[in-house]
Amino acid sequence: MKSRTRSTPARKAGRGRTARAASPPRARAGKSGELTLNADCTLAQAARLKTSLGGLLAEPQTVTLDAGAVQRIDTAALQLLAAFVRDRRLLGHCTQWRGAQQTLAPAARLLGMEGVLELPGESR
Amino acid sequence: MTVDLTQFHAAFFEESFEALDAMEAALLKLDIGAPDPELINTIFRVAHSIKGGSATFGFSDIASFTHSLETLLDELRSGGMPVTAAVSDLLLKSVDVLRVMLRAVQSKQPIDAQRVSDLQFDLEVTIARKRESIAAETARAPAPALTASSDGVPAATADAPAPGTEARRWRIHFRPFRELLARGNDPVRMLRELAGLGGLEVRIDIQALPPLADINPQECHLSWTLEVPGEVPEEAIRQVFDWAEGDCDLAVERVPPAPSTAAAADAAQSAPQPQIPADSTRSPAPQAAALEPPALTPAPASPSPSAQPRPEATLSAPGDSGSIRVSVEKIDELMNSVGELVITQAMLSQLGAQTEGPQAERLRAGLAQLERNMRELQESVMRVRMLPISFVFSRFPRMVRDLAQRLGKQIELKLTGEQTELDKTVLEKIGDPLVHLVRNCIDHGIESPEVRLAAGKPAAGTVHLDASHRGGNISVEVSDDGGGLDKTRILAKARARGLIGANETLGDAQIYELIFLPGFSTAEKTTDLSGRGVGMDVVRRNVKELGGKIELASEPGRGSRFTITLPLTLAIVDGQSVAVGSETYIVPLISIVESMQLKPTGINRLSGRGEVFSFRGDYLPILRLHALFGVEPHTRALDEGLVVVAEGDGRRVGLFVDDLLGQQQVVIKSLEANYGHIDGISGATILGDGSVALILDVPGLIRAADMRAAA
Repeated sequence: MKSRTRSTPARKAGRGRTARAASPPRARAGKSGELTLNADCTLAQAARLKTSLGGLLAEPQTVTLDAGAVQRIDTAALQLLAAFVRDRRLLGHCTQWRGAQQTLAPAARLLGMEGVLELPGESR
Repeated sequence: MTVDLTQFHAAFFEESFEALDAMEAALLKLDIGAPDPELINTIFRVAHSIKGGSATFGFSDIASFTHSLETLLDELRSGGMPVTAAVSDLLLKSVDVLRVMLRAVQSKQPIDAQRVSDLQFDLEVTIARKRESIAAETARAPAPALTASSDGVPAATADAPAPGTEARRWRIHFRPFRELLARGNDPVRMLRELAGLGGLEVRIDIQALPPLADINPQECHLSWTLEVPGEVPEEAIRQVFDWAEGDCDLAVERVPPAPSTAAAADAAQSAPQPQIPADSTRSPAPQAAALEPPALTPAPASPSPSAQPRPEATLSAPGDSGSIRVSVEKIDELMNSVGELVITQAMLSQLGAQTEGPQAERLRAGLAQLERNMRELQESVMRVRMLPISFVFSRFPRMVRDLAQRLGKQIELKLTGEQTELDKTVLEKIGDPLVHLVRNCIDHGIESPEVRLAAGKPAAGTVHLDASHRGGNISVEVSDDGGGLDKTRILAKARARGLIGANETLGDAQIYELIFLPGFSTAEKTTDLSGRGVGMDVVRRNVKELGGKIELASEPGRGSRFTITLPLTLAIVDGQSVAVGSETYIVPLISIVESMQLKPTGINRLSGRGEVFSFRGDYLPILRLHALFGVEPHTRALDEGLVVVAEGDGRRVGLFVDDLLGQQQVVIKSLEANYGHIDGISGATILGDGSVALILDVPGLIRAADMRAAA
């Protein structure tokens, strides 16, 4: 799985950011950390996701998790994300979401995880 | 890591076939008009599980078909549609089609698409008709939350709970074990399915979730407390977790209504947050049906929320999980090891018997104890392989129903002794002969209702299947109260075919024996059921191959009875050990008629038949085992040794041996697997002294002797 920072083209237009732009992959813990989640966020890719998340765990800046491209997500991936967000909170760091409402949020809601994941409200 | 789903295929097919059997059994028990809701639930669960499994594995044809089936069953389950004879027939046909589809997919053959789509069309039409009628009802008398179905039974709509049902809620404690995810279960899908039951409140517990760095991504560290409001059957809830059985702790309890939902009137509106709407794959609400014309095209296979591999416990009721699935190979290995232990123990016993000295007595006491324990162990392992004969009997209700329908006969099937257990190998091989016998009973035995009434019998004939243990054997009886065997017709037919001479007179037993001859049939017209004369000889051969025998009794006007006697297992045989020179052979007890010493006067030599001896008015050929196996015997004089009269393939023969040694149970070791096939030998065993003894195959010996005589 390619969990490269900002490397996966975002699928939705009008997100206020041209993620499609052919910008070179940024270092994981960039100036303002960002991680674009892959289309397939499932058990099979969980080990990779864990590595990617691990690289951003101590990032003092706000980390943005871009879930706009996610098409499939399962409990294994959500569990890792939950641990990531929680651990960062415990370290005093902030995490924010982008593009979660399409696929990620409904799955998280099923598991009762919106709170843990600090997902934005329905409106967003 | 990617989960290789093919590893679950075998389990899926096995479970699905079993589940279909159960579904069929439940369908046959279903009372038209007043069905038992539990039975309908059982049937629904099967369809649901197969749909989920097939969607997971990408068998989209099966998933699509079961989706239609499930929709119809859902209507029946909710009471929205009455169970009529037509619906019951449709469901039985669906079982057949599903079996065919599963078999096709299993053997990677193409599916008979026409047959499937025809039946699926019928299912859709049935559902659509019902919806049309509901739509009409709703249009006339709009009732938002409740709708009267066509038969007047109120049916709750899919997503609006009926008033009063909020009084009940289910609380579910769901604590997955760590391996749950790796086993292919995904709580996202499970909870989505649960939400589809009408609503769901979720509380997650992440106390056990380790820091990110310590998490094994394959393991689950979460647990949930869930609440399902409304009148949902417990079964439906447990069913969601069916495939996770064994991979989680699950507690389902009924709880008092939540304060926020106590008011039934606005239950639908004031649903607690976060409430998840009913799954869209559920049957649409009647209101929707009223607006849209019913869709007649087959519904696409929805990616089922229940789609998880490991289709386990598809039918096991809650609390019914006290069993595990073990592969036959493992049991065979165990069986083999126990066999080896028995041999070692026998060797030690022999050694112990010869030992002298102060410790000898204690040694023998210990060995006696060992022997007792060994016997218990052996019996326990044998029991693991034993299955109730109901596995075979269960196919008959459906078969009898269909046959009776086609032949215009009324038939009552009586099954007794279904719990009688026998070895799985025997069980698998006895099915076909039994099917043939039952077919014969129905086709040839039971008369048409008119004939029966004229003969003063009840219009419905009875076919009785009974199983019981008799000594070390199992006896299966197939009997009917029909016309019995028609001796005159059998004789006439046999004469016409030249099987017997025109003036030959035969006793009853000999006449009955004729029906076991290849190519014999008295059926006046050949049906696709029976009458091609390829039956009874095959039945007898199959039974013989299992080391059993078949007997027939018949009474004109009262019916006939076939009795099959089989060994309980193919792994152990009761044998008579005989000595020929320095060798020991085992003759299966079931083939032995008697053993005797010959008088010189009773022995003759016939040209073309070799040596024969007189036995109860008959002359039987003598088979000298020493000559057959090239062993140097103690004696070649027939009156000095012993003759074991053995029977095989309906023929008798005298086996000439030096001596009888004793009777014992021996563990059969396959010669084919360890060496190669030898005519006249069915296997080998290891004796107490460690030497190998061959087990004789009497029918094979007779054939071998024929060849020698012919040569």
